[in-house]
Amino acid sequence: MLKLQNISKRFDDKFVLEHINLEIGTGEIVSLLGPSGSGKTTLLNIILGLTSVEQGKIIFNDLDLSNVRMKDRGFNIVFQDYALFPHLNAYENIVYGLRNKKGLVSEEELHDYIDFLELQPHLTKKMGELSGGQKQRVALARTLVMKPKILLLDEPLSALDGVIKESIKQRIKSIAREYKLTTIIVTHDPEEALTMSDKILIINQGNISQFGSPQQIIDHPANDFVKEFILKQLEIKRENIYHLFGEKYA
Amino acid sequence: MRIIYIPILLLFAAFLILPLGILFIRSFETAEGINLSNYLTVLSDEELLKAFGNSLKISGLTAAVTTTIAFCLAYSIHCTRIYGPIKSIIKTGILIPMLLPTITFGFAIIYSFGNQGVITRIFGRNLFDIYGFTGLLIGYVIYTLPSAFLLIHNSFKYSDKKFIIVSKLMGDGTMRSFMNTIIRPLAGTLGGAFILSFILSFTDFGIPASVGGTYSVVATQLYQVMLGSIPDFHTGAVIAILMLIPAVFSVFLLNYLDKRNFHYEKFSDIEMTRHKGRDICFGAVSLLVLIGMVSIFAVMFIAPFLTSFPYDLTFTFTHFIDTFQASDLTAVYQNSLFVALMTAVLGTFIAFSSAVLNVRTPLRGKSSIDAISMLTNTVPGMVLGLSYLLLFNGSSLKGTFAIIIVCNMVHFFTTPYLMAKNALAKMNPSWETTAELLGDSWIRTIQRVILPNSASTVIEMFSYYFINSMVTISGIIFLVTAQTTLVASKIKELQHFAKFNEIFILSLLIFFTNLVVKLLCDHYQKRSFKH
Repeated sequence: MLKLQNISKRFDDKFVLEHINLEIGTGEIVSLLGPSGSGKTTLLNIILGLTSVEQGKIIFNDLDLSNVRMKDRGFNIVFQDYALFPHLNAYENIVYGLRNKKGLVSEEELHDYIDFLELQPHLTKKMGELSGGQKQRVALARTLVMKPKILLLDEPLSALDGVIKESIKQRIKSIAREYKLTTIIVTHDPEEALTMSDKILIINQGNISQFGSPQQIIDHPANDFVKEFILKQLEIKRENIYHLFGEKYA
Repeated sequence: MRIIYIPILLLFAAFLILPLGILFIRSFETAEGINLSNYLTVLSDEELLKAFGNSLKISGLTAAVTTTIAFCLAYSIHCTRIYGPIKSIIKTGILIPMLLPTITFGFAIIYSFGNQGVITRIFGRNLFDIYGFTGLLIGYVIYTLPSAFLLIHNSFKYSDKKFIIVSKLMGDGTMRSFMNTIIRPLAGTLGGAFILSFILSFTDFGIPASVGGTYSVVATQLYQVMLGSIPDFHTGAVIAILMLIPAVFSVFLLNYLDKRNFHYEKFSDIEMTRHKGRDICFGAVSLLVLIGMVSIFAVMFIAPFLTSFPYDLTFTFTHFIDTFQASDLTAVYQNSLFVALMTAVLGTFIAFSSAVLNVRTPLRGKSSIDAISMLTNTVPGMVLGLSYLLLFNGSSLKGTFAIIIVCNMVHFFTTPYLMAKNALAKMNPSWETTAELLGDSWIRTIQRVILPNSASTVIEMFSYYFINSMVTISGIIFLVTAQTTLVASKIKELQHFAKFNEIFILSLLIFFTNLVVKLLCDHYQKRSFKH
């Protein structure tokens, strides 16, 4: 269980986050949804430990992590652009961290991860030879073999196109189920957030607009922001799709 | 991080800020305390004033000629349909002078255009008097051409040539199209090339030392004042400060021009339109420039193999054998090799570390390194060398290889530092965080991720440091002693004894050493790029 208690953060006197309170259960997928500049990435970085927190507490399984360094928190992230090391091939990227933590995973486990992400045929490829979706999976594997206590994903779908997007979505869901891994995803796309997560945290201008399950958000939007900016987008999309296929598919 | 940062700052404090400070103070110091009388003496010395005037005049003319030629060459490569291999020959050939000390240029010119020179003989008469203005002009142009060319060539590479087509489709005439799509976007670079050529000529010592004759320029005046029969440290300091002023001015101007440069967001290559006249004209000009340059250097490759050029033209190896048997000359070559190698290794280390600290750490006060690199870019080699002479004259550093190596490291710091900075800035900003999450310490990340991805840049930095240390004379002329003399300064010495064969053989040694290093570095660079 991850608890955020009264988290606030300022950059140059301007509040980017104000009094954030949140509880995320083990194994849950939670999306942080909001427009750019809303503070969602800052919140992700605070959980990760990259950004220091000046007010409030981060508590994970009853331990106060607020002043624990990023490296020692045991969380891990896949960045939007993956940050793969181009001088290494896919396999070398995946086992990069294992050299520092010998014995963390057995050879067998390692190959389970690789098989699970269907990376076996690509292991000897250089980064330049991989497609966007393959890179994403290599980055996921590199992070997963470190056995993070929480998996953080920064805009995991933004660099991918069409069909790949849907399959990576399924993949992320199945990772969370398979490894009972708490997963926190940053996104600005309501459709992504609502179709991929158990709960969604909608952030606007540094404040929580609403926190709830997809159904709660659709059925009971908490305020105008949620209605105007989140639901409106989905409704327009729905209209467009209906229009394409005809009402009978509604 | 601080363990690296603080020593770097101390190094530059001790070997850049402090010596320049002392130089500044010395220029005001007199028997009656601190005042302006040194400056008044220098500024009322007609000989010195004339030298300044001469320097300004010839450097200005050089800059104009060089910029024009360099532009023609770059234009031929980028905007014509000249036969591909010819383009490569132009591109590579024009860089040859970079592999040689400037002092060699002068002797090559003497042997080509002098009374008994090759080209003089071909034409059957003296084309012009080479000692003085004309010789200097030719020398400076050859010297500055590669740098100016590279500058314009790079700008061309990153300019969007699609605009040429757009302009044609909009119905522009040749002139308007040329002005709007070529000259305007390149204006800043052309200005930059002009200033660069100007300042290189203004501060060079090798060319006037060999072919200057009685035409006095600032660099030779400074040399005479410091190493003449009665060294005058105060006057020397004043001249050095006065030499620094145009340099400071140029760097500011260059930065200003850089901001005014066009920055295309995207650039695309397109096929050039057919135009026979254009291609023939520019092709001919480029080849002529190249042939002219090569023919001047040709003598260097021929003369040492002839018994007694130009009187006895029989082929012989005796000069080579003699030179290699003269132990002092091989020792001098070894000195040069040692200095260049040490400079390249240590210099690359310092420049790379500085760039890493600046670009990839949140260290406080890191931008001070940028200020340092501006300063090292400004200070001419002769001024830096002189300031070392003033500061370290009484210390145990005097007459050591260490002081020469440090001088080179500081003198050539800017370019390798900027190379590293550029490369590092392009790398993914999340690598450090990622590696840390995967259990690396900061220094391990540098070792496992940053360095392997910078291999190509590091090699380029090494090659730059090495080649420049091999050829520089202005930086080290005040610092060498009989024990630490280098090839470039030895050539200066051999000049007194008119030992031209030895001069050319030593120059060839430098040339081929640099060529080998350059080719090796290029080879490894290409290989590391493939990864």
